[in-house]
Amino acid sequence: MADVAIRTDGLTRTFGTQVALSELSIEVPHGEVLALLGPNGAGKTTTVRLLNAVLDPHAGTMRVLGIDPVAEPDELRRHTGVLTEHAGLDDRLTATENLLAVARIRGMAIEPARRRIGELLERFGMSARADQRVAGASTGQRKRIALARSLLHDPQVLFLDEPTSGLDPAAIRDVVAMIDALAAEHGRTVILCTHFLGEADELADRMAILHRGRLEAFGRPADLATELWTGIPATLELGGIDPMAAADLVRSLRGVLEVAVDGAALTLEITERDVLAHAVRELVLAGADVFAARPETRTLSDVYFEVERRRAASETEAGPPRPPAPPPPPVRSPETRAQP
Amino acid sequence: MSTAIDWGAVRAVIWKDVTAVKRSKAVVLPMLLLPAVMLLGLPIVIGILAAGSGPMNVESLLNGLPSNLAEPILSLPERQQAVVLVLGYLIAPLFLIIPLMVSAVLAADAFAGEKERRTIETLLHLPISNRDLYLAKLLSAFLPAVAVSWIGFACYLVVGNASAWPVMHRLFLPTWLWTAVILWLSPAVAAFGLGIMVRVSARARTSQEANQLGGTVILPLVLAIVAQTSVLLLADLWVTLVIGAIVWSVAIALNVRGARRFARDTLATKL
Repeated sequence: MADVAIRTDGLTRTFGTQVALSELSIEVPHGEVLALLGPNGAGKTTTVRLLNAVLDPHAGTMRVLGIDPVAEPDELRRHTGVLTEHAGLDDRLTATENLLAVARIRGMAIEPARRRIGELLERFGMSARADQRVAGASTGQRKRIALARSLLHDPQVLFLDEPTSGLDPAAIRDVVAMIDALAAEHGRTVILCTHFLGEADELADRMAILHRGRLEAFGRPADLATELWTGIPATLELGGIDPMAAADLVRSLRGVLEVAVDGAALTLEITERDVLAHAVRELVLAGADVFAARPETRTLSDVYFEVERRRAASETEAGPPRPPAPPPPPVRSPETRAQP
Repeated sequence: MSTAIDWGAVRAVIWKDVTAVKRSKAVVLPMLLLPAVMLLGLPIVIGILAAGSGPMNVESLLNGLPSNLAEPILSLPERQQAVVLVLGYLIAPLFLIIPLMVSAVLAADAFAGEKERRTIETLLHLPISNRDLYLAKLLSAFLPAVAVSWIGFACYLVVGNASAWPVMHRLFLPTWLWTAVILWLSPAVAAFGLGIMVRVSARARTSQEANQLGGTVILPLVLAIVAQTSVLLLADLWVTLVIGAIVWSVAIALNVRGARRFARDTLATKL
């Protein structure tokens, strides 16, 4: 499919007896941001290394920009950019020299490379450090220099491993805006490995949750939420009525799945947004003051923690893990399931 | 499928490594200390000793050497015999330690040093083939090792001739043996040592571990072989050339095999 930037099918990698990645099957369209989420050791970095042909798969197939990383690794790496978890800069070289070495390895001519390096370092606020050795740079400064390095050749696919760790809030805002612009305006595909769910929530079109190398969930956060929960969450802030009586009234309405009292407010689980409007009407007729009525959107964080909670619960039920057991199919959004 | 070497990328890696090494005192100082002692200190001491003392009887020593080497030296005035024997011939085989040591220090830094500094993964994510990356790392150690050897030798010629001038009253260095050792054999020995050390460096986690592995296990073995063959070096110029050809063959075979077996995956697995 022409609009798919990354496709993996049953991608598997082991290190000795340890399964680092087990049967990963995902598709990422061009111009989208995929958040790869999971605790340490989940297989995020292994996935990036496999997709960029640094590691060889032990089973399964993959295509990145239509290129088979196993067959044409160097051709693939010409079109991808990587920010590794550690900035990976040589302390003995200046920021410009670090970037120039990479530009030259990528086949860029020296003068255009110098101009591009100057532009990028300025964009990331690193112009003042351009000709200073990296040895004295802070973690955040290193990260920004490394980000500039990953963008030198304007890659079509960008792998970012913890791009904002070590950055100050202003720099985080800038980097998040930059990633968003790369995907939204420039059509670049971004694979974002992160522990910061807020950042992923802001940027990701899709999310993949990994745990011990196994894909636990994959799809658009909203679609996954539909799979995980039957209803839409909503909040009603009330006055002039006993909250328990209000809860009983709302509970009796059609389309209300769950009601919980939270002080003077009610938190609901409803089948669709119209149910909330109906509830407001009934409460007003019953003499209640309705200060706010909000249907909530399930965030990526909500989805992540729910998937993690369910996984932990199923592991507790099943007892200690048995390593050779084949993994059950992951939670997938309807759109993802429909694809071959 | 064999593709053409991407010399631009290879040159870029060499430039990066050499620039970084030049700024690293911990690497540069030990690398220059031994050549300085051997190639500058030794000829000065021998020159001073030869000028300050009377004729040294080296006839018994020369009698133990091949006649084609001993006879021209025996025909010299007695005061010059020791100088020509030591500075012109006996030190030459010892000189092979220099390219071996310099290349070993740099090769230890090649992959293991990159792992230690956490810069290796960046390199692995770049569009440079496994073979070209191996070649670049090999040349990053080989070229400085040969450069140090040759520049050191040029200094040795100046210092050796100058310090022996009061005795010799003429330029007597380089001898043919020295020329063959420097131009032909020492690069071969460096390449041979690198054939082993680059692979050690790729497997080790730190440059210290690579140095220990190389320094305590492998290099003594190589040095023993060099020491054994150094007696042969003094026999005849042709023997030196033949030994050089053999060392080159082994070095090329080792490095071709190393480049073929070198895999990103193996390196990345240990990150």
